[in-house]
Amino acid sequence: MSDIPPAGAQPTVAEKIFTFVDERVGLKLLAAKMLNESVPGGSRWAYVFGSILLFIFIMQAVTGVLLMFYYVPTADHAYASTQYILHDVDYGWFLLSYHFWGSTAMVVCVFAHMSQVFLWGAYKKPRELIWLVGLALFALVMGFGFTGYLLPWDQRAYWATTVGVEIMDKIPIMGDFLARFLKGGPTPGQMTLSRFFVIHVMVLPAALIALAGLHLFLFRCAGPAGPFRGAPAELKAKTDYFFPRQIWKDVVGMAVVFASVSAMAFWEPVVLLEEATPDPGDYHPEPEWYFLFIFQHLRLKMFSGEFGQFLGSMGLPGLLGVMLVLLPFFDRSPERNIFKRPFALIGWVMLTASILLFTVSAIINREFLD
Amino acid sequence: MQPQLKSKVHCSDREVGEVSRVIMDPLSHEVSHLVVSMNGAGERQVPMGAVQAVTDDLVQLRTSSSEVMGMQPFNREDYVTLHEVEIPGLEKHIHVTPGEVLVPFPELERNVKRRAFFANLTYVTGLFIGLPLVYPVMKFLMKPMYAPLDNGWLKIGHIGKMKVEDAGIQFQYKRKIKEAYLHEAEIEKNVWLVKASPAVLEKVYQGKDMEFLNASGEAIWTNKKDVPFLAFSGKCPHLGCAYKWRKHKVLGQVFLCPCHLSIYDASGRVLDGPAPRPLDMLPIQVSAAGEVQIIDMEFKAGTKSQTRIV
Repeated sequence: MSDIPPAGAQPTVAEKIFTFVDERVGLKLLAAKMLNESVPGGSRWAYVFGSILLFIFIMQAVTGVLLMFYYVPTADHAYASTQYILHDVDYGWFLLSYHFWGSTAMVVCVFAHMSQVFLWGAYKKPRELIWLVGLALFALVMGFGFTGYLLPWDQRAYWATTVGVEIMDKIPIMGDFLARFLKGGPTPGQMTLSRFFVIHVMVLPAALIALAGLHLFLFRCAGPAGPFRGAPAELKAKTDYFFPRQIWKDVVGMAVVFASVSAMAFWEPVVLLEEATPDPGDYHPEPEWYFLFIFQHLRLKMFSGEFGQFLGSMGLPGLLGVMLVLLPFFDRSPERNIFKRPFALIGWVMLTASILLFTVSAIINREFLD
Repeated sequence: MQPQLKSKVHCSDREVGEVSRVIMDPLSHEVSHLVVSMNGAGERQVPMGAVQAVTDDLVQLRTSSSEVMGMQPFNREDYVTLHEVEIPGLEKHIHVTPGEVLVPFPELERNVKRRAFFANLTYVTGLFIGLPLVYPVMKFLMKPMYAPLDNGWLKIGHIGKMKVEDAGIQFQYKRKIKEAYLHEAEIEKNVWLVKASPAVLEKVYQGKDMEFLNASGEAIWTNKKDVPFLAFSGKCPHLGCAYKWRKHKVLGQVFLCPCHLSIYDASGRVLDGPAPRPLDMLPIQVSAAGEVQIIDMEFKAGTKSQTRIV
């Protein structure tokens, strides 16, 4: 490698330390293995989302740990300690707001990442396992959103959780047990807060770290899928390594995300509602925006009644989940070009359009409630 | 077969040297070039297309020695080794090692018969540690899940507030709770009361008194069909939000839940929206002085039948 000093020159202390470690763990080889990942067809801006998600997770972990220096997960202090972070601790408002907007960025980038893998046909053989682990990671991200929401213990938190857990209650057979297990009782209270807290700060992060590691490992085993068209010779001519071009693009993407999240935290800092209580006053309960489409479609007449509700809250989302899990196993054609996979394209467009439609109609509906 | 390292390289006219390295194609995963060490005259990069035949220790080329001499000289700087790059599956395609590289199997391991037994013993030990923990851990986590129901009466206000018939009036009240290790605290709750006209009373009771049972099936209270005060749990039977008494463009004054837009009339009956059952009636008693008391009950949302949870 080119960073070897010319023979005869005295090595500096840093070089000596590097050599010492390298002799014992093979740093150079490790770095080479990490960075010389062949990217078929060359680096692209479209490939930045995986790295960005890792970056967002690290920032969520860092800001989350910082918030825990002041936050107290008890029914009598959660709200006060969150207000303390927002109003009294220096830059507390920024860290909490960054954590809040970071979760939004996470959901946006997860959607982009999954859409891209889907449209590029990158879930197909030999990458089925990466897709499956990715779906599990998606579920974890949703779990983070749901559990984190309760922690400030304001009205918004309380009602989103109340409705969310009622939805879980609709799972056949296990529902009642699961809902009580999660709430630690029949209604949300201290036990719910304790449970959501430990799930949010210990259980989910541990699971996410493990699964994200597995995701990356599987990705390295199969290699990047590359573009879905182009002759081998052309792809080979454009192929480069992960470092430096792709890493450069990833880093720019991370900087953009950091700047956007910081800007949102700055301009739209978190403001709490009244402290949580089973009497909502004038507050109209509503979940976080990325759950709005589920919330809105449950308003439809077709999802009324006991069965309709099961269909809307569990049946259809569950079916979509099962379809995503089975996708790489029934879609076995090696064709990856999205323009030659009409069902995949139409399915994606319809799902995305209906999510948009329901989200927008939920927002429009707000006006009619006041 | 793939050309082996150290194989002699023969051109159409004479021997020119030996194979010193092989170069892999990163996309096809096949050997693309041989590097031939030209007996001291440098190294040349020979494409596999020039190879006519390969045997154990010999590579026969189609080209002449002068053509090989004219081929592109090998430049080490243009390449990385197999160990320094991550191209999945590349190793599986090369068979050019000069031979097997071996390490002795330890003496002690040579005649061990019960390898499967020892492997299984590991799993069994794991089960012995893990299984006895399942029950205590589940009990540990389930401790607060099933709280007993409280059938105490709560004072919530005075009927003086209720001037209009068949209109929903919210009564807010505070309820003391003592959760596990926390100090006793008060939470705010609400119920909706309706001073019912005979028509609404008939809709609600349909000529029958309403009996409330405790967990073991014994009667704890009966709402008489001719008492004109109705109390509805503040929780929407659809998904547990809190509904309100609101004006509706078409339906007039109704109970409306802002979450999923379930609509109920003053008797609690579903007029529109996704709710699976009417509003939940609570036990109510009104003293001679007009003091209202209720038993605070909550029911599972989203089901056709009522299941009490609080």
